[in-house]
Parts: sequence; C-alpha cells; structure tokens
Amino acid sequence: MHQVIVIFIVAAAYLALSGLSAALAFSHADAWTVWLASGLTLGLLLARPRRAWPAILAGVFVGAGTFALLTGGKLEAIGYGAIEALTGAAGAWIASRMTGLPARLDRPRDLAALVFGGALPQALLGAFIAGGWNIAAGGAEGIATFRMWALSNMVGALLVAPLVIAWAQFRPKRSGGLAMPAFAGGAIVSVLFLLSMYLLFRAGPEQHLGGNVGRGLIYVPIVFMAVLALLWGLRGATLVAAIGTLIALFETKWGRGPFAGIVGYLGDPELEVQAYAAAIALTGILVAVLVAREHIATRLAREWQTRFEAAIGAHRLIAYEWDPASGRMVVSGDTAQLLGVAPGGIATLADWLALSVPDDRARVAERFEQRALSERALDTLAYGVHGPGGAPLAVSDEARPILDHDGALHRVVGIVRVANGAASRDESRL
Amino acid sequence: MSDVAAAVVAPPADAPSAPAQVVAPDGVFLIHGLGGTQYDMGSMHKRLKNAGFVTHSLTLPGHGTQPEDLLNCKAEDWIDAVTAKYREIRDLHPRLHLMGMCMGSLLAAVVAQQEKHAKGNLVMLAPPVYIDGWATPWYRVLRPLLYAVPGIGRTMKVEEEDPFGIKNEQLRAIVKAKFERGENFHYRWVPLECIRQVDRLRAIVMKSAKDIRCQTLVVHAREDELTSLSSANFLVEQIGGARARMVVLEDSYHMVCVDNDREIVAKNVLEFLGAALPGATSALANDPRMTREELEVAVAAAFAALASGNFAGLRELAIPDMTWVQPGANAVSGAHAGKKFASFGSRITEGFATRFTAPGSPVFNRGVALMPATMIAEVATEAGNATLESQGALLFAFHGGKLLEARWFADDVELEDAFFGAPDPAASGPSPLETAFENAAALSKTLSKAPDNDSLLALYSLYKQAGSGDVTGDRPGALDMINRAKFDAWTARKGTSRDDAMKAYVELIAKLKSGEGTGKE
Repeated sequence: MHQVIVIFIVAAAYLALSGLSAALAFSHADAWTVWLASGLTLGLLLARPRRAWPAILAGVFVGAGTFALLTGGKLEAIGYGAIEALTGAAGAWIASRMTGLPARLDRPRDLAALVFGGALPQALLGAFIAGGWNIAAGGAEGIATFRMWALSNMVGALLVAPLVIAWAQFRPKRSGGLAMPAFAGGAIVSVLFLLSMYLLFRAGPEQHLGGNVGRGLIYVPIVFMAVLALLWGLRGATLVAAIGTLIALFETKWGRGPFAGIVGYLGDPELEVQAYAAAIALTGILVAVLVAREHIATRLAREWQTRFEAAIGAHRLIAYEWDPASGRMVVSGDTAQLLGVAPGGIATLADWLALSVPDDRARVAERFEQRALSERALDTLAYGVHGPGGAPLAVSDEARPILDHDGALHRVVGIVRVANGAASRDESRL
Repeated sequence: MSDVAAAVVAPPADAPSAPAQVVAPDGVFLIHGLGGTQYDMGSMHKRLKNAGFVTHSLTLPGHGTQPEDLLNCKAEDWIDAVTAKYREIRDLHPRLHLMGMCMGSLLAAVVAQQEKHAKGNLVMLAPPVYIDGWATPWYRVLRPLLYAVPGIGRTMKVEEEDPFGIKNEQLRAIVKAKFERGENFHYRWVPLECIRQVDRLRAIVMKSAKDIRCQTLVVHAREDELTSLSSANFLVEQIGGARARMVVLEDSYHMVCVDNDREIVAKNVLEFLGAALPGATSALANDPRMTREELEVAVAAAFAALASGNFAGLRELAIPDMTWVQPGANAVSGAHAGKKFASFGSRITEGFATRFTAPGSPVFNRGVALMPATMIAEVATEAGNATLESQGALLFAFHGGKLLEARWFADDVELEDAFFGAPDPAASGPSPLETAFENAAALSKTLSKAPDNDSLLALYSLYKQAGSGDVTGDRPGALDMINRAKFDAWTARKGTSRDDAMKAYVELIAKLKSGEGTGKE
C-alpha cells in the first residue's frame, strides 16, 4: 500500500511539474525552455535509498506516460514514460556511484556528481533517444529535438534536483536549525532577489531608464543569490532560485525582460534565459555547497580539538610549543584548572618561568637555554610550578626539538605532566 | 523513585540506652523536562541527599520508554501525575520543596499555584515560558499553523540537535555519543503534538504565575539556546520581587544542571532551600538539624564502627560523599572522599588492622563533635608484628542525621608517618589494578553481544563491590524483580575486598571478550 501511495504521489508531482513546464514553453516555436519534471526524477532518486527506486521510477513512468497520453497516442505514452524512467535511473546511478546514497550536497564533489554524473548524462541520453526516435520516425527535426531536450532537461534538473535533495534532508529541530537572525537576514535578501528579478523581467527598467539598462543589470540578482546562499544555505537558495527563475522564464515567454525580442545575441531568447536560469541556480548551489563544506570542516576541527583536550586534560597534561628565536610560547591544555592561569596568560617563556617556583626558576631557565642550542631528541626535567592559589605542584616536562629541512632547530615542543595531589599533602598535615 | 525512609540513627550496642531517634528531613520533589529523565538534573539528586534532603521524583507519562508513547499524552496528564505525586508525599516532610527543569519547572509552577503550595519553596530551572532562544529555528513561529493541519502533529518529529543545551564542548561530546549509542537517557525526538502540549502548559503558566505564593528561585542561563532570559524576567515580574528571585548564569546553555555553571546552580539551590553544604566548615555555620541527643547517639554509632575497625560501617551513617581526612605525609594520609573513602577504609583495615579505642568525652558544637581517642594499628614486618598506638582526637561533622566529614588529629604525626611508611608515588594516580579495572569497564561497553543474565549480574555486583564496597540500602520489593536481583547479587559479594572485586571483574570481562573472539558464549 505504501508503494502505491508513493507511485501516486510521484506521478502527481511529475504531472504538475510537466504542466508548469508546458506553461513556460514558447508555444510559437514549440520550444520547451525547461523540463522541471526531469529534476524531480533525478532529485527523488538521489535523495532516497536504492530500495525506494522502483516505486519512484514507476511513478515517473506513470506520470510521464499520462502526460504524453494527453498529447499523443499510447505508443508515445509508453515510449516517453520509459525514456523518462530510464534516463532518470541512468543519471541517478552514475551520480550515486560518485557521491553515495542518499546524496547530500555538502561538498563540491557532490555538486560535480549531480551536474556531470546526474543531470548531464540524463539530459544527453534522453536527447539522444528522442532525437534518434524523431529521425527514425522520418522526422526532419532530430537535431533540434536533441538540442531542445538536452537543454530543457539540463536546466530543469539544475533547478529542481538540488531543491528536492536539500529539502529531503529537512528535519524539524528543537534547536540548532536556522536561527531567527539568519532567517531574517535571508528573508530580506530573498525579497531583494525576487524584486530585482521582477524589475528586470516584468517592470522593464529599460523603459524607465532607457537603452539596454535591463540587460546591463542582469548580474544583480546573481549577487543577491550568492548572499542568500550564504545566509540560508542550500534549502533556502534552491527554493528562491527556483521561484526567481520561473519569473524569468515566464516573463521571457511573454516577450518581456532583457532577453525577449533580441534574436542573435546568443541565438534566441529561449537559449539566453535557459543559460541565465542555470547560472542563477548554479551560483546559489555552489555558494551553499562551499558554506556547507566550511561548516563540516569547522565541526570536524572542533571535534578533534574536543578529543585532544579531553585526552590531555584527563592525564593532567599541558602541551607547549616554544619558539626560541622570538621567545613566544603557545600552550594547550586546561591551564586554568591545573595552574590557575588561562592559556592566553602564558604567551612567552618568561610567563612560563614566572609560574615555576623560585627555587627551580634558574634551573628551568638554564635548561630551556640548553634546549634552544641542543638537538637532543628528548630532554626531561622535573621541577615545581605554582598551582591554583599559589600552592606548589610538581611537574615533569618532556621536550623534543622540531628541526627544519636543514636539520636546524625550528621549535621546541613539550608535554608537561602536572602531578596530582602534591598540593594537598601540606593541607592534610593537620 | 521515592526515598521516603527517614534517616534512622540506630544506637550501637555499647551506646547509652537512648531510643532510636527518627529525624524527619525535608523533602524535594524533582520533575524532569520534556523527553528527559533524571539525567536532566545532573547530580542534583545526589547533592540534595548529601545536604540531608530526601528526594522524590517521577517519570512523567509517556517518558522513559520510547518517543511514540508521548503521542497520547496531554498537558493535563502530566499535571495530574505531578499533582498526584505531590499529594502523596506532601505530608511526609516538615517542608517539601518543588523543583523542576525546563518543562518540569512549568509543571512545578502549575502545581504550586493549583495546590497553593506553601509548605516549601519552588525552584524553576530554565523555565521555557517563551520558546525564543538564540538557537531555536525560524520556523518555530509556524507551529500554530501546523497544529491546525490534521495528522501533522502526530507524524512530525522534532529532533534534538547541536548544541543539545550544553555549552561545555566535552560534555556535549559525551551527550552526543550517548544519543548516537541510543542510550535512553533522553528522547532523540519528540512529536510535534508534544510541543503543542508544552505550548498549552506555557499558556497555563503565563496565566497563573501571578498566583504563586511560595518563595521562588528562577535559575536561567543568559545564553540559553531554547528560551531567552525573557522567560525568567516574566516569572519574576509575575510572582513578584518579594517572593521571587533570579540567578542568571553566564557560562551555560539550557541544561543548567550539567553545564559549566552546575556548581553555581547547586550552590544557589542548596542555599535557597536552607541546606548545609557538605563539609565541616559549613556545618559549623549552619543549623545541623539535629538535637543534642540525636548527635550523641550518632557520634556513639560512628565511634562504635571505628572501634571495631569497621570503616565500611561508617559509610552507612554518612552521606555518599563523606570525607575522611587522615593527617601526615604517609601511605594513608590525605582527604578521602566518596569512593576513595571505600578504598582508604579497605587499605587501612586490611593492611594495618586499624581501629580506634579509649574514647574520651566528646565536646559538641552545633553539628560537630570532637572526642579524644587512640588509634591502634598493626602490621606484620620481618622483625615481627609492629603496633602503633597514636593518641589524638576524632572530629565528626553531622547534619540531618548523616555524617558529612570525619577528621583524625594525631598528637604525633611523625609517629604515624614512620609507622605507615612513605606515600606511594603512584597513589596520586590509579594503581595498575585500578587502571585495568577502568579499562575493563570501558571494554564492557564494546561487547558485541549482551552477556547472559548471570554474567550481567556478576558484572554488576563486582563493579558495585569494587566501586562502593559492601551493599547498602534496602532490598527492593518483590515486584521490582530486576533491581531485587541486582541487589541480591551485590549482597552475595559482601565482604569481598575492593582489590579482589576489581580482579574478578577484569577477569570476567576478559573471559567475555575472548568468548566473542572465539565465537563462544
């Protein structure tokens, strides 16, 4: 029963997007500017595990066949449904080999897999079959069919597939989702984006400002899209990009906007608006993917830092890196807990020496001087430092040199183990 | 989980023939948050017990099992459950305080208002009157729309996510790992319908907060990611500054009882409830909540345990974190608190046959008693048996019938240093056996197949014996079969030394792991 429901929903969504695509077609030239349903097929297949593919593909077959049946015969319906299911499966299979399932658009590699492994093969394979079919049936528009199919499917895949993949990952969260300040900022930018698209394609700035102002300002929405992707990430960027480009496609179809009526610039208005829609979609996705990659890198770094701090903290260790040339020292570890000093409070060797107990200070300073001159593999020194509250603590300091490519000393790195309980000895002597 | 037994201090055999004194301590009713368990409260239960309170808690309807069980729960169910528990325990204590965490604090407020609670105070930890914290997602404002769509409330899952209410990175990593392991300390998600019930509860509190008549403490983190400081401000304004006060935490997120400021939370809560903080110093400064007679009986019982060399018996009279302070710079000196006291007791009795004798008349000052005594210890040496007779004084600090701290003041510390020997350099860290034990405990979590029940009971009993010593507490009832079996298994280990228990535990884990490797049970 669940499978039947999936098939029905996919077929219905496919039909809806097919109808929307038909509404955007340049009817005077019988040209399909964008075939959004191809993106639905690719997106659903990549967003779901492989065991869900049969039901999705069945839904695509039913939806595509039903749409073809409305305009043609049964044979066309079966053939068209089969082509859509086959090309979608082929594109998704190749992309999934590159990025895994369910796909996530978190890395540039994922984006490359979607575009070059999924959308492009899907569009080219479908275009090849459709063009060949036209020629085999005695038609004279095989090349035109190939071009129209390839471009409209490619643009449709770029607009809808990332949208489906991104929103398939959405899970409502109690906390940790997009916070209200980022949402508000993104909302403002998305309004600016949609407003700029409206002004460019609907209001006709050239009529108010004269000349080719409209064409000159077509980069403006792309800037807003980039900012939007920074603030809202993939889900917000793909959604708003889809809405904005639909405005562009719709207005261009009706002869409005910077691409309408100027034949010869890139070929024709359809081709220009297709390229523009693809540029907007790719800009948003690319920026969002890069942001996601940075988030992942930051998260991994924090996890690494947390593990490192937990390990050295549990062993009461402090790690340091000392530059003998400048005297600067970088300290890691819970120095606040162990020594009563924040890590930032130990910035130089002098700071470290100031923590050592007066009786040991000269000996420690002398040993550090020797370390700066020596290339001994390991140097161990035991001395006392002041702990929290000034109580003396015994430490064991193990230092090793870091040599440069010429074998000269570059840094001295060390691990200091702070003894546990030395301070309480006096306290316990009642 | 109710610990309603009053603290009974039974007189020792050689104590004056005073009747057993029953101290009726104050109680605290703790209520956990949405999707949570007692883990929400961190160590608050233990802290309160240490301070002499009896704690009560309950598992709210729909909790402690699986998130789907929340689907049929309404705010009224939670209120009814908390109210019923409140009425059940209200008369068991001279004072009963209400304390809740997150949604639990809303429930505590509702009960305080509806029951006209005046028998104690109210503590509200991170109350979410407004769901407007910095990390709450933007679509929180769409909740009312979604509630109106049939079916959505029951099917949509609202998940827990970073930062999990915790600012401390180390603690957050632990909580995250617990979630990933699927440990049932907190639901990974709750149904949207459940959030709706919390919203209804919030509305009730907003309406009724002004009618709360008891003294109220609101503890809230400035950086609470779920609910902003507006919630705390609202409550204090509604209840009124004369009755309500607020503590703002600067280094925590929502889970205030486990995050960076947990010590501040505990300290403020205990002070607000009028508790004595563990430690002799605070006991001196606070009301011990014991009569002179009760104190005499308690001191006699404590000394009787020491006179028979039964250091473990002292734990039965004490709070879990009791501290024994042994003077000098020798193998047994130092401050031995909690589990370390079990280790110390084992070492000083098994290694040195230590006992106390010749008690003098104790001097009392509030909850503290100081009594002259002589420490007797014996050890076999190559030259024969060596005996120590060290004179000095014992100090006991009691509160609410429980021993908080004991100190031995030796007249001649050097004498004891010479007898017990130099401190073991490794004593500051874990011994090889302790390290092996800890490693085995960690290894137990990696067993790919759950051991059979007998092995599980053996592991539990050995772990408890090694960590806590001989069994304490009452045997669970017949209906509580699992805990009863665990208690019986632990009881069967009574008298086993800590080292022997650790060794047996390590060996059993090794056996189970090797069985996995060979495919055997």
